Amino acid sequence: MSSSATSVSVAMPQMGISVSEGTILEWRKAVGDEVVADEPIADVTTDKVDVEIPCPASGVLAKIVAEPGDTVPVGEVIAEIDVGGGSDSTSEGSTAGPVAGEGPPAEVAAASNGEADRSGFVSPVVRRMAAEHGVDLSQVEGHGVGGRIRKKDLLAHLESKPAEKPSRPLHTESPYVPEQPAAAPAGGDGQAPAELGGRREEMTPMRKAIAEHMFRSRQTAAHCTTIVEVDFTAVAARRAELKEGYSRRGVSLTFLAFVARAVVESLEEHPILNASVDGDEIVFHDDVNLGIAVALDQGLIVPVIPRAQRLSLEGMAAAIGDVAMRARERKLTPDEVQGGTFTITNPGQFGAVLATPIINQPQVAILDLEAIVKRPVVVEGEGQDAIGIRPMAYLPLSWDHRALDGAEAARFLGSVKDKLESGAVR
Amino acid sequence: MRGDVAVANGSARASAKAEAREPSGGLLTRADRAALLRFMAMMRAAEERGLTLYRQGKVPGSFYDGCGQEAISVGSSFALRPEDRMCILHRDLGAHFVRGVTPDRYLANYMGRADGVTGGKDGNMHFGDPQLGCVGMVSMLPDMAPVACGMAMAFKIRGEKRVAMTYFGEGSTANGQWHEAMNLAGVQRLPVVFMLENNQFAYSTPNELEFVVDPVERAHAYGFPGVDVDGNDVEAVFAAANEAVGRARAGDGPTLIGCRTMRMHGHGAHDDMSYVPPEMFEEWSQRDPIDVYAKRLVADHGFSADEVDQIKAEVKEYVADCAERALASPMPEPERATEGVFADAWQKLGNGDAPWSRWQSENGSHGANGASA
Amino acid sequence: MTTTETAASRQPPAQTDEPREDITYLEAISEGLRDEMRRDETVICFGEDIGAFGGAFKVTDGFYEEFGAARVIDAPLAENAIIGAAVGAAAEGLKPVCEMQFADFIACGFDQLVNVAAKLHYRQGVAVPMVVRLPSGGGFSGGPFHSQNPEAWLLQSPGLKVVAPATAADAKGLLVSAIRDPNPVCFLEHKGLYRNVRDQVPEGEHAVPLGKARIAREGSEASVIAYGSSVPLALRAAEELGEDVEVVDLRSLCPLDTEAILASVRKTSKVMVAHEATRSCGVGAEVSALISEEAFEDLDAPIRRLTAPDVPIPFSPPLEQAVLPQLDDMKEALGELLGY
Repeated sequence: MSSSATSVSVAMPQMGISVSEGTILEWRKAVGDEVVADEPIADVTTDKVDVEIPCPASGVLAKIVAEPGDTVPVGEVIAEIDVGGGSDSTSEGSTAGPVAGEGPPAEVAAASNGEADRSGFVSPVVRRMAAEHGVDLSQVEGHGVGGRIRKKDLLAHLESKPAEKPSRPLHTESPYVPEQPAAAPAGGDGQAPAELGGRREEMTPMRKAIAEHMFRSRQTAAHCTTIVEVDFTAVAARRAELKEGYSRRGVSLTFLAFVARAVVESLEEHPILNASVDGDEIVFHDDVNLGIAVALDQGLIVPVIPRAQRLSLEGMAAAIGDVAMRARERKLTPDEVQGGTFTITNPGQFGAVLATPIINQPQVAILDLEAIVKRPVVVEGEGQDAIGIRPMAYLPLSWDHRALDGAEAARFLGSVKDKLESGAVR
Repeated sequence: MRGDVAVANGSARASAKAEAREPSGGLLTRADRAALLRFMAMMRAAEERGLTLYRQGKVPGSFYDGCGQEAISVGSSFALRPEDRMCILHRDLGAHFVRGVTPDRYLANYMGRADGVTGGKDGNMHFGDPQLGCVGMVSMLPDMAPVACGMAMAFKIRGEKRVAMTYFGEGSTANGQWHEAMNLAGVQRLPVVFMLENNQFAYSTPNELEFVVDPVERAHAYGFPGVDVDGNDVEAVFAAANEAVGRARAGDGPTLIGCRTMRMHGHGAHDDMSYVPPEMFEEWSQRDPIDVYAKRLVADHGFSADEVDQIKAEVKEYVADCAERALASPMPEPERATEGVFADAWQKLGNGDAPWSRWQSENGSHGANGASA
Repeated sequence: MTTTETAASRQPPAQTDEPREDITYLEAISEGLRDEMRRDETVICFGEDIGAFGGAFKVTDGFYEEFGAARVIDAPLAENAIIGAAVGAAAEGLKPVCEMQFADFIACGFDQLVNVAAKLHYRQGVAVPMVVRLPSGGGFSGGPFHSQNPEAWLLQSPGLKVVAPATAADAKGLLVSAIRDPNPVCFLEHKGLYRNVRDQVPEGEHAVPLGKARIAREGSEASVIAYGSSVPLALRAAEELGEDVEVVDLRSLCPLDTEAILASVRKTSKVMVAHEATRSCGVGAEVSALISEEAFEDLDAPIRRLTAPDVPIPFSPPLEQAVLPQLDDMKEALGELLGY
C-alpha cells in the first residue's frame, strides 16, 4: 500500500548501523491529534537506547498501527498521518504494506507470486532452531514457497540481529549490546517459581535482553576466571600527584583509568585477549575498543571507547568520565554501545572484593576491578620480610578457553599487574 | 562312543582275520563291521527318539528322518579320510555321526536349543559342524551339489588329494542346479562324489513323474560314471563309495553313485504316506538295512546274536543319555538372533572323524577335531 | 587373443612420487583384481568367458596368460553353479571372485546367492569370503535384461555386503577390500562408467574400506545422496547450476554410512537421494526413511528421490532416456529443492 496524496506512513526508523527493530515505548500523540513535521511523535527503544521518532509530515494522526510494547522491524509502518489535500505527498520512509514489503534492509523482498499462502507452515528444522534461539517466528520474513520461512530466512534473521549472530549475552556485572531486540525468553519451564507464588512483575526489555545474553554467553564461551592481586600503592601515589591538575581541566582521575591504561598496553602485548571466536577461526582485532561498564538503576550499559590504544592516561580518564556521564543520562547513541573488543567492569565501587564476571560476547575476556581494600601484606625487604599495610585489589579476569589457555590469561594479568605496581602507568 | 571303538579295535587285532566277503573285499575288519552296525543303529535310535520328542511337542517346526536309508549315509561316509569334506543332507544323519557329531547335539538342534549344532539359528537337519568338515545344507535342493563342487575345485586348484561328498534325492535331479553341478563336475573333472538316494518318492511324487531316464544312466552324459548300488546294503554302499573316492583322489574326476532304497517314513513326520502302495511298503520292510546287516554279521562274519543285540542295546542307552543331555540344554538367548550375520574373519574348516580302521592303522588314532590334521 | 603387451611383462607397479595419468574405471577394476591376485594366491576368478576371452568387458584381459587356467576359470553357462561353487571354494579357503556377465543374470544364480551364500555364516558359522562382480546399469540400449541395477534385491538379503563405486579410484579400492572381506560381497560395477569415468588411481596397494561414504562435493544449501552413475550426474548438475550443493557418494550400500548421510542432512537441511535403479523400495526409500527417523528436526524440505520409475528398462533410445534419470532431470529436481 503506497502512500497517497492524503496519507503519509510513519515507519520505524533506522536507529543504528546494525539495528533491525525497535519496540514502541509510548505514543506522545493520540489518534486525532494534530501533528507537526519533525516534532517527536513516539518513543522507541532498542532495549537500552531510547530514541524519539520525529513526525514525517504535518497533519492529523490518523491511525496507530503499532502499540506500546510492539516490536517492529525497521522500515515497517507504525502509524498513518492524514495530511489532507494538497500537502506534501512525499513519503519519506513510507513503505508498502506489511506483508510483501521489506524485511531486514539487506534482504530482497520476495514477491508474493500467487502461490498458496504457506507463510504459516513451519518446517521441522525451522521450528527447532527458532525454539533454540528464542525467536518469535512472527517476526521472521519468509521467502520460501508460498511465503514460508525457510531455514535460510531464519539464519538470515538471526544474523541480522547482531546480538544474535555474535550471540552477545551478558554478564551480570557487565554490559550488553542494545541492538538485541526483546526476544522471547528461551525455554524456561518456570514451574517451580510459579508454584512458590508471590508478586509478579514483567521483565523490562532491558532485563529480558540481559537475561538472554547472559545465558547465551555462558552457553557460547568456555568460561574460566583467573585472579591476580594488585598492590595499588604506586597507582595511589601517582594519582595523588595528578589529581588536582586533571580536575582543573575538568577530568576526574579514577583508579579505573589507570587500570584501563594498563589493560590497553597489555592487550598490545597479548593480542589474543583482544580477539573474537568465529567458528573455527580467531579474529584478532586491530583496535582496542574498550567497553566500560556503567551501572544504571535498571541494569547495566557498556559504552565503548573506540581505539582506546590511542589515549593517554588523561585522555582515557576523560573518555571514561564522558561515557559514564552520558550513560547515566541515557544520552548514548546506539552505535556507541557496540563494537567493543574488551570490557572492564568496576563493581568494586560497591564494596565487593571478588567476582566471576561473564564475558561480553563476542569478546574473549572481561576484566573486573574489585574493591581496593587496605590489607596487611608481606613486604619483602633486604633479607627481612615485614608486614605492611597496602591498598590491595583483586583483578578477576574471565576468559574464553576456546580461544586461549590459562597460561596466556595469567601472563596477561601478570602484565597488567606489573604495569600498575611498577608505576609504569603515568 | 569313541572309547567303544578303541576297545573293539583292540579285540579285532587280537582276534582272527576278518572274513573277506563281497563286496567290501577285505577292506573291513571285524571292528569296522561292528562300527557300521553301530552307526546305523545310532541313526535309527536317534531318529526314533527325535520323532518321539516331536510327538511330545518338544520340536518346533517339522521333523524329518531317513528311516530305512541308514546304510547309505553310514556306508558312504565311512570311506572318507579326515581331511575330506561333506555336505550332509536331511536323511543322512548317519554321516554326521560317523564324522563325529554326537546324538545330543543333533536332538538339541531339532529342539532349537543353545547346544544344538547351529545354536538355534537353523532347525531340523539344516546343520553341519564346520569343525568336523561339514558345510550344512539349505532347504532348497540340490543346492549343496554346486557347493560340494566348489570345495572340490579348491582341492583341485591346490593340488590336494582330497574329496568332497554330498547327497541328493532322485527328485532333486529334476532341478536345474543338479544339472549345473553334474555338468560343472564333469567339465572340470572335479574330485567330488555325488550320492544319489533314490528312495522312490520325492514327498509324494514317484519316480515316473520326476524323470524319464534314470539319473544313474544320465551320469554318463556328463562324462563320468554312474554306479548303481543296493542302497540297503551298507557294505555295498561302502565299497562303491570307496572306489569313487579313490578315483577322485587319483584325479579321475567325479562319480554318481545311485543308491536304491525306500523311505520308510513320510516325507516328514506330518506326512501319513497314504500315497505309498502297501505292497511296496511291505516289500521294502523285508529289506531293512539294519536287520539285514545284523543277520549277515551273525551268518557270515562270526558275530554272535548276543553281540549284535549288545551293540544295539548299548546304542539305545547311549542315545537315551544323549536325549537327556539335549533336553537339559537351554533355549538360546534372544540377543543371539541378530548375531553372526557377518563374519569377522574366515576360519579353516576342521577335519572330521574317520573311524575306518584303514586310517587308524595308517597314522594312529584319527580322533575328531583335527587330531590327524 | 592379442595384447600389445603381455601380462607377464606388467610388473606390479612400484610406488612413485609422480602422479601417473588418470586411468578408466574399467582399468582400475582390472588393476585391483590383478594386483590382489598377484598378492594373494588364494584369489581366483570364476565366470563365463573370463579366461581365454578376457571377459565380456575385458576386465580379465591377460589374466589367463598370467595366472593360468587353475586360477582363471571359464565356467559353463550356469549361474547357480558359479555362485554355489564359489561358496564351496570360499568355505575351503579360496577367495573366489566370480562374475555374472551382466548384473541382470544374478536372478539366475539368486538361489545360491541369497539362500546359501548369504545365510551360511549366520546359520553355521562358516565364513564365505567371495565376491560377485555385477556389471550393472543402462544407457546404451541394452534392453530389459542387460540394463538393471539389482541392488535392492541384494540389500533385502541379510548376510550380503553390497558396494557400488562411482570413481575409478574407488572401483579399485573397493574391489580390493571386497576381496579381503570374509563375507560375500556384491560388487556393482556400472557399465556406463567403465570408459567414461577416469581419475587418479593410486598405484600399488590401495584399499577403500567398506561402509564409508565419500563427500564428492562440499556444499551447504542442499545435499544429494547418490551412488554409482548418479554421482557424476549430480556433480555435473551442481556445477552447471552453479549452486552450493553437497554431493555425498555413498559407494557402499551395505554397510551403509548412516553417519555421513545424517551429517550432510544436518548441514544443509535439504536432501535428495538419487540412483539409477527403479524407485520403489530402493536405496532411496531406505535412506529417506533413515533421514526422517533420525534427522526429522533438521529438515527444511521434504526428502526427494530422483530415480528411474518402476518399469523394465526399455530398448529404444527415446524410451530409455525417458526412464533413466538424465542431467536435465537432476537439474530440475535440484532447482525445485533449492527453491522450496
